[in-house]
Amino acid sequence: MSEAPAATLDAPAREALAELLLSVADDEFVIGFWDSEWTGIAPMLEEDVATSSIAQDEIGHARALYEMLSALTGRDADRIAYGRDADGFRHASLLNHARGDWAFSAARRYLYETADAVRLAALARSSDEPLAALSTKMRREETYHLQHADTWLRRLSEGASEGRERLVGALGRLWPDAQDVFAPLAAEEELVRSGLLVEPMRALHAEWQARVRPVLEPIVGELPALTPSLDGRTRRTDDFRWLHGELTAVYRSEEGATW
Amino acid sequence: MTERIWEVFRQQDEGDPMVHAGNVNAPDDELAVHYAREMYGRRGESHRLWVVARDAITELDDPDLLRPPFDRSHKKPGGYIIKHKLEAAKQRAAAETGEGSDE
Repeated sequence: MSEAPAATLDAPAREALAELLLSVADDEFVIGFWDSEWTGIAPMLEEDVATSSIAQDEIGHARALYEMLSALTGRDADRIAYGRDADGFRHASLLNHARGDWAFSAARRYLYETADAVRLAALARSSDEPLAALSTKMRREETYHLQHADTWLRRLSEGASEGRERLVGALGRLWPDAQDVFAPLAAEEELVRSGLLVEPMRALHAEWQARVRPVLEPIVGELPALTPSLDGRTRRTDDFRWLHGELTAVYRSEEGATW
Repeated sequence: MTERIWEVFRQQDEGDPMVHAGNVNAPDDELAVHYAREMYGRRGESHRLWVVARDAITELDDPDLLRPPFDRSHKKPGGYIIKHKLEAAKQRAAAETGEGSDE
């Protein structure tokens, strides 16, 4: 299942790649857990299955990335996923928020999926062959996720006033933290130098802005120009600490056990 | 949301017949396709899906037309045995093909 890491990378490049992999893996892992909170209570049965299935897909992507990270660092993939404390996570602050209502989850899914699409397109061109191959594979599944998120954004924005109001409120509230999917990485210079990341995060951020503003601004009005924050991947909230307790409960119940 | 029922047909592999899989509730064709994919295709079990609004289907269920009260046995192929004729025809065809290949 895991892809072999490029053995040719020197130590600084490996360390940089590890930071990049962890950030993407944690994003997919945490949004997967948040969205799985809808299982059993989504607006209708079919949507319940769809949302749960998409959440499972995200966990699947996280698993592939953690395994790649494991092959690179020699650390156990399950331990990386479940053995860290909340402050050790490196997901974007967009994913610090609790699931909220349906409009809030739909707004976040749209913001995240569009940002993820821009990032994945860049990763598919990475100089690291296994990462490029995995990203290409992930993009095939994310295309559907993006369609699903886009459908809900349009549905809520064009629908009855309550849904639209909730969506607009959620987009406004999440907009600042959504920038942080592109928060600068500590080893970014090295990542760009080695071609592991074909463009710096600020370029990807600009690309994402150009893509979502024309869609969102007709719905919410003018959105403030913001830059990703330096602590965009290290800030944690009580909401996330609660989720972390939930998602690590089984692992902590018998540490080191094989499930 | 006003929901409609959509009937889903699936094809397991290219060339297989489309078989009725079940149905989904959805407000429009866009979500119907998403839901059909999740209900009948998410485990890789389908090569192709057809999603059809139930109210777009023209139904015939009139027993007078489908199961009329008269004896219809003369419309069934039973009683007409073609097994031996078919075998003879196959042998003849094989013999002719065999001769043909010599020329």
